[in-house]
Amino acid sequence: MEEALQDSDAALIGRIVQRDETALEALYDRYAGMLSSVLNRILHDTQSAEAILQDIFCQLWHKASQFDATRGSLPGWLMVIARNRAISRLRHRNPAAGEELHESMAAVPFNIENALSQQQLLDRVKRALEKLPAQQRAAVELAYFEGLTHTEIAERTGDPLGTIKTRLRSALETLKLEMHS
Amino acid sequence: MNANEHPTREEDFDLLALGALEDDEKKAIESHVATCAGCALKLAEAHNRIALIGLASPPAKPSSEVKARLIRQIRAEAEGKAPSPGSVKDEASSAREPWTQWFNAVLIPVAAILVFVTVYLWRQNQIFDQQLAILRATVQEQQDQLDEDRKVADLIAARDTIVVPLAPQSGMPQGSARVVYNAHSGILVYDGQLEKAPADKSYELWLVPATGNPINAGVFNPSTGKTSHWVIKLPPGTIPKAFAVTLEPAGGAPQPTGPKVLVGPLS
Repeated sequence: MEEALQDSDAALIGRIVQRDETALEALYDRYAGMLSSVLNRILHDTQSAEAILQDIFCQLWHKASQFDATRGSLPGWLMVIARNRAISRLRHRNPAAGEELHESMAAVPFNIENALSQQQLLDRVKRALEKLPAQQRAAVELAYFEGLTHTEIAERTGDPLGTIKTRLRSALETLKLEMHS
Repeated sequence: MNANEHPTREEDFDLLALGALEDDEKKAIESHVATCAGCALKLAEAHNRIALIGLASPPAKPSSEVKARLIRQIRAEAEGKAPSPGSVKDEASSAREPWTQWFNAVLIPVAAILVFVTVYLWRQNQIFDQQLAILRATVQEQQDQLDEDRKVADLIAARDTIVVPLAPQSGMPQGSARVVYNAHSGILVYDGQLEKAPADKSYELWLVPATGNPINAGVFNPSTGKTSHWVIKLPPGTIPKAFAVTLEPAGGAPQPTGPKVLVGPLS
């Protein structure tokens, strides 16, 4: 297991394809905490969050061969899946078949394969979010953690739709600049 | 925009990844992305960028049991004991999902009650069926008795019906009887008391016609002190000159072979 913990995501994925349970355990140990955080934040229900968490890694076990680590980021892929599933459960809807698998598959990799790099990235994201004005940040969080659209956010906050659109665009522009800085 | 147009703003990809776009806006961009490799890459980048927002969530550590269940699940699936991927529901999640909890809490007890009620009703139905069969048999028996009584009443009321008393014979089992007979209809009613027949013997009632051989009108083995009674239909038009009860081998005989026990001549 020590050896597995030091392997890259790509190497571990390769071993999962070969049905190596220790590789799955290593990836679980690497990313379960990160996924659990976002699942709990969205669902506010530990049991449901853990059920989805288990299901995501089960899916990884079965579909590892479809993941091309040279073209995308495994944690990004896992995060997209986790968020989609949590939002779907929160809003009582089913994700489109195959949707999760394809999203982010061609993404630019970001390396968070060890605790230090995870923490560095987390710090950067937090700094970026902290730089947002409160209303922009609130709009982003309503969309991200509750799956609300522009219209729904406007209804929730009581602000004009155009204002919400502007806030979100501005927020996303800022985040993009901060995260790539 | 249509499928051939690129999104007008770069943030559109982020908004799509964030899930903030309305359905029509979302579908328009997705249609374009499906045919544009450059925009597909931008959307993928946006997904990864937006996914990072989740990192700002408060830390949460899953229980150690989740990992153990995961390993058990994939091993069970490998052994063919669990559902296929895609429909996989681990033991914990299946027990925890609201519909499953509802199923466990409500449907299972309801199903158990229904099974119990069904079995109970089935057994009750069996009992009712048995009781119904007994009642039907009783009704039929009473109907038969009523029919017989009507025949007897009709028989007695008929002007050409005769009543013939049968007298005991000396040295024979003692008793008395009478025969009600209507030659026109051929209906005969026997009613009498006799001592129990000796072992291996039966009593037999005969209609002794004016011409021809005696006609068997019933074989019987009375219990001591019990009245023997029956109705029998004989060939109509048979004119009797006497009725007699003889002692015959057990089960009776085609023609009288034994001694006369009761005799009732017509005057």
